[in-house]
Amino acid sequence: MNNHQKLKDLLLDVFLIGESEYSLEISQEDIETWDSMGLVAMAVGIEETFGHHLTQEEALSIRKFQDIVDILSTKGMSFDD
Amino acid sequence: MTKPVEISFDDLRRLPKESTELWVQPSVRQRVEQVLRFRVSEPKKTTRETKCVIVIGGGTLLDAAKAWRADQSPATRLIAVPSIWGSGAEVSPIVVANDLGQKDIRMDDRFLPDQVVYWPELADDIPGDLARTACGDSWSHALEGFLSPLADDALRNEIAELISRMLNTPLGNSPRWFKLSAEACGAQACSSVGLVHGIAHTLEGPLRTSFPDQRWGHAKLCSSFLAPVMAFNGQGDGKSNRLLAQYGVDKKGVLKIARELHDASAYRTALPFLIDNWRTILRDQCTRTNVRLVRPSDLEFFERWIAE
Repeated sequence: MNNHQKLKDLLLDVFLIGESEYSLEISQEDIETWDSMGLVAMAVGIEETFGHHLTQEEALSIRKFQDIVDILSTKGMSFDD
Repeated sequence: MTKPVEISFDDLRRLPKESTELWVQPSVRQRVEQVLRFRVSEPKKTTRETKCVIVIGGGTLLDAAKAWRADQSPATRLIAVPSIWGSGAEVSPIVVANDLGQKDIRMDDRFLPDQVVYWPELADDIPGDLARTACGDSWSHALEGFLSPLADDALRNEIAELISRMLNTPLGNSPRWFKLSAEACGAQACSSVGLVHGIAHTLEGPLRTSFPDQRWGHAKLCSSFLAPVMAFNGQGDGKSNRLLAQYGVDKKGVLKIARELHDASAYRTALPFLIDNWRTILRDQCTRTNVRLVRPSDLEFFERWIAE
């Protein structure tokens, strides 16, 4: 499974959204479950799935799903299909 | 976080009688009336002119007093005397109201009692099964507070030391649980809880409604689900096991306690409700701060889990 699919599966589970709702351009304002506790769950899931512990600055900088890809890419993870 | 000041039982007895009222849990009223000579009242009858209310009871009564004082009579001095441990209501700025099976949780420093008194003899009045499940509530607070993603190094060290004292205290009617529980709740308030509490908060209402004679409550659910949730947390990337080892927590001792607290019959009864309410549990704020991410597909783990 490539990193894109891993991330998608993770975010669907963290935010309890359906596949049809998913897009890397989804932002915090689009999802009811993206609140402070959702952010915690996302951080836990990212660490479990990608082995990267988000710093507080990184976590607070995430405004849309694409931002997660950008952060993980800087850590050497490839999201090229 | 500020805490209520602990005063002694003798300090309590010396309070002026003319302006002090007692709210008392019926289960301890006989003992209380033998030693405290204050007027016994109740929430509906206490007026704002009452200078001091001493509330002696479990979490529900303590929270009712906290809410009444904050909302209706902020000038009244409130002294909390827990008659059972587990909820930490006597030291918590949180008030939980149960309306029609829904938990309404409010948090504000206004809800903190002014003082707390620990009365060890009240432990003798607690039925044995309730004392054990109350210990399960305390253990859930300690372990989930320790494992919480929101806990920092200092807090984990504090809770690890507390856990070692809890491991040396037998489950049941030891009055030492009054203060151990308060410490566990106080520490956990600095981080969060996790899946055990997400399950307990969601299932309490439906189980009480379906089985009114089985004394389903928060503590019974925490006790029944602590072992399977600890097993669940121990899988995945192993973070919970690493944390326990890193801070010198006796993992075998903790898992042994969780198994002792586990009620297999209660678990089997609750399992269909877990299945029916899984989506709600996933959305619970407590579940979302679990040490391990809880996914929709993880329901299968609990369906298959059997106590070793």
